[in-house]
Amino acid sequence: MHHRLIRAHKLVHALHYAGPEALLSMVLAIMVFASPASAAMRFQERSLYMLSTEPGVTTSYTVSFQYMSQLSVGSVDLLFCDDPIPYHPCATPPGMSVANAELAEQAGETGFSITQKSANHLVMSRPLQMVTANAPSSYTFTNIKNPTNNDISFSIRLRSHASQNATGPQIDFGSVKGQTQTGITIQTQVPPMLIFCLAQEVAYNCTGTNDIYYSNMGELSPNSTLTARSQMAVGTNASGGFAITANGGSVSAGTSVIDGSPVPIESRPGTNQFGLNLVANTSPVVGENPEGEYANAVASPDYSIPDKYKFVDGDIVAFSPNVSLMKKYTVSYILNSRADLPPGVYSTTINYIATGRF
Amino acid sequence: MGKTETMKRFKGSMLIAIAVMIFGALVLPGAQAHAVSSAALSIVPKKNYTIEPGKSVNDTLTIRNLDAERDLELSLRVVDFTFTDDGGTPKLMLDEDAPRTAWSLKPFLSVPKAVKVAPNGSETVDMSVSIPSNQGAGSFYSAIVYSSGASDGGNVGLSASGVTLVFTTIPGEVNEDLQLRQFGAYHLNKRQYKYFNTSAPDALAYTLKNNGNVTAAPVGTITLKYMFGKEQDINNVNPNQSLALIGQERTFTACIKLKTQDVEFYDGRSRSTSCTTPTLWPGYYSLKMNLFYGQNGNRTQEVTGAGGFWYLPWWFIIAFIVAIAAVAYYSSKTYRAIQAKLYGGKPKRKSRRR
Repeated sequence: MHHRLIRAHKLVHALHYAGPEALLSMVLAIMVFASPASAAMRFQERSLYMLSTEPGVTTSYTVSFQYMSQLSVGSVDLLFCDDPIPYHPCATPPGMSVANAELAEQAGETGFSITQKSANHLVMSRPLQMVTANAPSSYTFTNIKNPTNNDISFSIRLRSHASQNATGPQIDFGSVKGQTQTGITIQTQVPPMLIFCLAQEVAYNCTGTNDIYYSNMGELSPNSTLTARSQMAVGTNASGGFAITANGGSVSAGTSVIDGSPVPIESRPGTNQFGLNLVANTSPVVGENPEGEYANAVASPDYSIPDKYKFVDGDIVAFSPNVSLMKKYTVSYILNSRADLPPGVYSTTINYIATGRF
Repeated sequence: MGKTETMKRFKGSMLIAIAVMIFGALVLPGAQAHAVSSAALSIVPKKNYTIEPGKSVNDTLTIRNLDAERDLELSLRVVDFTFTDDGGTPKLMLDEDAPRTAWSLKPFLSVPKAVKVAPNGSETVDMSVSIPSNQGAGSFYSAIVYSSGASDGGNVGLSASGVTLVFTTIPGEVNEDLQLRQFGAYHLNKRQYKYFNTSAPDALAYTLKNNGNVTAAPVGTITLKYMFGKEQDINNVNPNQSLALIGQERTFTACIKLKTQDVEFYDGRSRSTSCTTPTLWPGYYSLKMNLFYGQNGNRTQEVTGAGGFWYLPWWFIIAFIVAIAAVAYYSSKTYRAIQAKLYGGKPKRKSRRR
């Protein structure tokens, strides 16, 4: 027993010091040997020309690519899928059909004819022949029905084979991308629209406003902060979402100017300060938090800090990165002034611009 | 009465009138304020066209007035725009004397100057895009700005504007060139890439610089692979069909877990997609990306990228440290116990100097 323990101790003792070195070696080995390896020949200069990009119409496609392997080719496989990645499952683009396709023209590597066809699959075959063309080859297919969905692009996955029925090992591969562009309206869905309203008070869904488009803030004083508020509601079913920018100059009376705060700061009576935000504030008490359940429509970070106010001409004050149902924002304005501010009527006009996003 | 005297009296009256106006404006700023129009509108946010040189497209713009009581009086004008940042918000060039951009659609786009829409009504106005026959291929875009009149009273006057972005592609041989700048885990609310994440990233993102003369919208796949082998393919890498404008460094986001739902929007259904927080195991995730882009008839181009990120939530970091400490403690204890067994006596302890 004692001898065994001594042997075990010797082993453990060695490992006690060898552990970190071994661990480091293992990490290095993983880093060296775990690097992904790939060896593939891709068709080069690949392109697709659709004679018409109108969704659902029957048109012709010209597929061009350059064979890269100087080997004998007996067939080319063309698979029409939503996704260009060759090892992913293939979903046929909605509405697309190549079942009636005909090979009308060919240039470069020639001698092909269509030997297999289905709704989303074509095989061109020829007697086994060495690739000789050094420039892209092109193949024009007629009677192809375009996909009906212009929301997403589609791909043609290409593979060349030595066999004449597109089986066995592939020689070259690659994908080309296409997309239908002008639209047929999908009747079940409303077309994209951007809804926007603005006033001193607005209804949540823009069905009514109080028709007042200005705010009188009162008499400026170095001891107090003047406040005002307005409201706006916005919504869009466009996939890109919306953005609202606040555009306008400083608050001014003649040549005397109260500039907007370039960064979000608290209200500072006794200084010249103009700013706004889109949340509820306690100092001074003004404003409300945005109303509406759609969480992706938000006030911009700089304009959503309670009790901090900012105004920079052209800043984005609210946005949504994608579809957003109606959301209502209350904009709070503050105006502070120094004791030596020249008297006058200080005013500005802020133009809120609602845009779609690209 | 002579002419000179009449002129003097006229000048005097004018001066008094101007003085009264100035006084009124100074003393009674709010008294004259009135709204000029409704400011509740519905417009189409984006239009896309593909037009060959020498051809034109005639289309319509539908504008709705959501106000039940007032007319909506809008003035329309076309302005150029570019990008604000790496997102999709346009930067409108609103100055009247703003220089025309290289991609301006202004010379080709015609819209009426004004439109009036009755309360709760809608108007359809004509617009057209005409491309000259000698125009080269590329992307051209400008914006139609609909402005309601500005208020003329108060300290803060308000006016509302809506914008339709108009994109036109002129087919032909174009210069397409997207360069990958960044790729990795992305936090949508902070708009930030992160390599070490203590909270699960809600999206993967890639930033592409568009050096070409056309807008580009890539498609493709991102493969997310966990350190112990589990793989997930994200095939919708540009779910909103976002565009990289000419010269823009655009960040595209792809949700790790995409939520799609049909929502009711103004008497119709619309499809909404958004990212939800994915369920991720703590550890390292490797990323592989294959993007494709290319306009009709042009080369299909590829962008490939690889990257990765760590997801190590705080609970995991704390649990890991506790586990390591426990292993170290018990290993040390075992080691000392063996040592004591072999060489007799109590396990050695560090001597303490006094």
